[in-house]
Amino acid sequence: MRQILADLMDAASGRADYADVRHVTSASEGMSTRNGRVDMVRHDSDAGFGVRVRIGGAWGFAAARGTEKAAAEGALERAIAVAQSQPLVPGAGPLAPEAPARGSYATAVEIDPFEVSLEDKLELLLAADEGMRGDPRVTLTMAQFSAYRQDKLFASTDGAMCDQRIVECGGGIVATATSDTDAQVRSYPGSHRDHVAQAGWEHFAGLDFVANAPRVGEEAVALLSAPQCPAGRTTLVIDGEQVALQVHESVGHALELDRVLGREASYAGTSWVTVPDLGSLKYGSEQMNVTADATSPGGLGSYGWDDEGVAGHTFPLVKEGVMCGFLSSREAAAEIGLERSGGCMRADGFARQPIIRMTNVNLAPGDAGSLDDLIADTDEGLYLETNRSWSIDNRRLHFQFATEAAWEIRDGERGRLLRNPSYAGITPEFWGSLDAVCSEPSWRLWGLLNCGKGEPGQAMHVSHGAAPARFRNVQVGVA
Amino acid sequence: MSSLELAERALAAAGGADDVMVTVVTERSLMLRYARSRPTQATAVDDLTVEIAVARGGRVGSASTNATDDEALARCAREADVAAAAMAHTTGEDGFPGFPAPRPVPASETFDPATAELDAALGGAALKQAFDVAERHGVEAHGTWTVGDVETAIASSAGIAVAERSTDSFMKVVCIAPSGRSGYATAADRSVSAIDPAALAASAAGKATVEGEPVSLDPGEYPVVLESYAVADLLGQLAWHTFNGLAYVEDRSAFSGRLGSKVASPAINLSDSPRYPRTFQHGFDSEGTPKAPLPLIQDGVATGVVHDTASAALAGTHSTGHANMPGGSPFGPIATNLVLVGGGAASAEELCAPIERGVYITRLWYVNAVRPKETLLTGVTRDGTFLIEDGKITRPLVDMRFTDSALGLLERTQALSADSALTSDGEFYGRRFANGSVCPALRAASMRFTG
Repeated sequence: MRQILADLMDAASGRADYADVRHVTSASEGMSTRNGRVDMVRHDSDAGFGVRVRIGGAWGFAAARGTEKAAAEGALERAIAVAQSQPLVPGAGPLAPEAPARGSYATAVEIDPFEVSLEDKLELLLAADEGMRGDPRVTLTMAQFSAYRQDKLFASTDGAMCDQRIVECGGGIVATATSDTDAQVRSYPGSHRDHVAQAGWEHFAGLDFVANAPRVGEEAVALLSAPQCPAGRTTLVIDGEQVALQVHESVGHALELDRVLGREASYAGTSWVTVPDLGSLKYGSEQMNVTADATSPGGLGSYGWDDEGVAGHTFPLVKEGVMCGFLSSREAAAEIGLERSGGCMRADGFARQPIIRMTNVNLAPGDAGSLDDLIADTDEGLYLETNRSWSIDNRRLHFQFATEAAWEIRDGERGRLLRNPSYAGITPEFWGSLDAVCSEPSWRLWGLLNCGKGEPGQAMHVSHGAAPARFRNVQVGVA
Repeated sequence: MSSLELAERALAAAGGADDVMVTVVTERSLMLRYARSRPTQATAVDDLTVEIAVARGGRVGSASTNATDDEALARCAREADVAAAAMAHTTGEDGFPGFPAPRPVPASETFDPATAELDAALGGAALKQAFDVAERHGVEAHGTWTVGDVETAIASSAGIAVAERSTDSFMKVVCIAPSGRSGYATAADRSVSAIDPAALAASAAGKATVEGEPVSLDPGEYPVVLESYAVADLLGQLAWHTFNGLAYVEDRSAFSGRLGSKVASPAINLSDSPRYPRTFQHGFDSEGTPKAPLPLIQDGVATGVVHDTASAALAGTHSTGHANMPGGSPFGPIATNLVLVGGGAASAEELCAPIERGVYITRLWYVNAVRPKETLLTGVTRDGTFLIEDGKITRPLVDMRFTDSALGLLERTQALSADSALTSDGEFYGRRFANGSVCPALRAASMRFTG
């Protein structure tokens, strides 16, 4: 395969200003239960070439399935034809320089999740499913496991040749309790049943679903009769999972340089941040420190090289509240005069071209101790846990989130459970109200599998490191 | 080798299993993207998926591959068989009733040979037309142009052997003025010759350049006129959460226990109509079940939900031809060809006439369910939001967030336009599948805006 890719890049040299090729072999395994029965077990695999060329500033990308040299050559011809068919791109400059990627990268895996028997996996899922169904008002229980493996070989006309094996696995459980007019949901460890990490079976086995299942079912039932979360402005203590999604939606996406430059205006949207803001924009309070870290152990945004051969590395996005970095590609970085790409180009499989994506965009831990310490330090407010819905405008400025559950905080104590909590805000005001982040032991990576972007659509796996955090004077009860 | 021949080869590879369904989806597609009146990305795909589903003991195990050699097909069949065996072994003999028996599939209008050529030069010319129109209006054009040629074939041990080749085309133009105001227009059709790039660009540019400084409205309830794009956004959410037969039987749908009840204005007549001339027609679903028109809301009364074989078994009824994967998706079946019958108003502009002060919405964005059983949604307006004063659009509005019930909006619907359009989002996550809703514009007495 290495020879096929090397020959292809030789053939592309001279016909394109730049070209790269990935051969990607992907496999995934997914299974789930539903109300005590196995609902789904499936195994998916594919393999193919993705060839990308840049000619006169216009990109052409073509994907072809298989492992044969002829398929790769056909994709190269199609990519060149597509690039040449488009209108000219006046003033297109060179890509930001990058040393040719060479070497290998592999996820650290203790137990290969694909080698654990289906029976063992299903037994664990069914036990967790059963544990949630103690009350007849629990009308739907689900438990899910998923594993992914990707072998990727990359070469470019810059002389890159590197290979990577990335393994991910994880899952989650959820219980729905219903009444005539209401349906309430509780999940563990996060929403959407997809708490996945770049790791082996040990990650999934360590989540301890069976022990948590009864609480999940009981809380879903309790929410049916819990008081409605009141409306108004108050202090919020938000759990790490929801903070992670808040970082994703209102920080990570807003700092993607393609959005900032207007390249995604017709679909994903633009950004409230501009290029001249770099280094001076007050994004949040001094408690706010955010990095893009493609080296976080276990992160779904960790890798040796991105999909245009830039080595994964770490750089700050927000330092003590001031915006100081963008997620970028070689093209976008060069366009605004950065010395180097942020190494953020990733593609969803062989049949999609790389676009700017988040790596692990992490909110650094603070010094507020544990969640209990933070609640004890809060006179009055709400504690919100587990995302239920999310929506943000196309500039990543105005957002509204709902969580599965809330608890009153009074005099430093966690009080009554409340249903249907929601909150809304404006990105810099909200992050400006951050006054405490829990300490390192409460910090963890939260995986997301469904970050949608690009046309045709691409669903990317990303992680965000976060700990519970406190925000003052937030509007709640909007939904 | 045709897709159906490949499906039959894969079926033979799974010969040891009793109840097997093989689906082959072959995709050739081209998508060009552009921004700021320049090309930005271009993706050409040539790929296929062979999916083998084995039903055993009331469970369905599945596997897929994009390799077509004998060894790969045999491996895929083994993986599906092992999955089904593990499922049945673990949980006993109840559940999925088995893949359906063959039934005649009605003819559909699905294919246009010229579109299937995936002519990149045609796409390049479309971009150029949009750029030229945008320049004349002093705005920049952003968007996509795409064409696809997809063949779906299903073969089963029960005797199903069907295939359908479909083309689709879609163009989106978002024009952004130097002021930051934007306008939106799209077109979708099985034939690329039906797409008029210049007309789309002119429509989008017109919205981006409506005169006047944008004004803000306080949160509250206002009368609204929703263009067909916005109506389709709302109906798409109802398709996931309300018309979904699995959500219905699991008591998570707003229709659970309410079929036969009034749920919307008497002006609302909504169906899933897979052979409607202007939609992306499909003759059969992912289980080879023939598709047929299915009323969902008639004269404001909830009349139906969609089913695949699995959800139908739970509900004690039959599949309506809405499976989106063999054996049923964990997310349930979905209506992919919604058609909302229009009314008497000539156009969206005419719908504005009775409104003293209200909001005109071109499209919605990032719409998500807050509480699906209440059909409570939230999202924001985008790319063409205007103030209606004394029956006319007068000024641009700053985009607003709504938080409201989708069925509530249909209950408050006062009138619909006679003209309607096929609205597709053209996103194509995963394997390409063209779908969309045919919708008119509508006027509702109120919509709740929360910021």
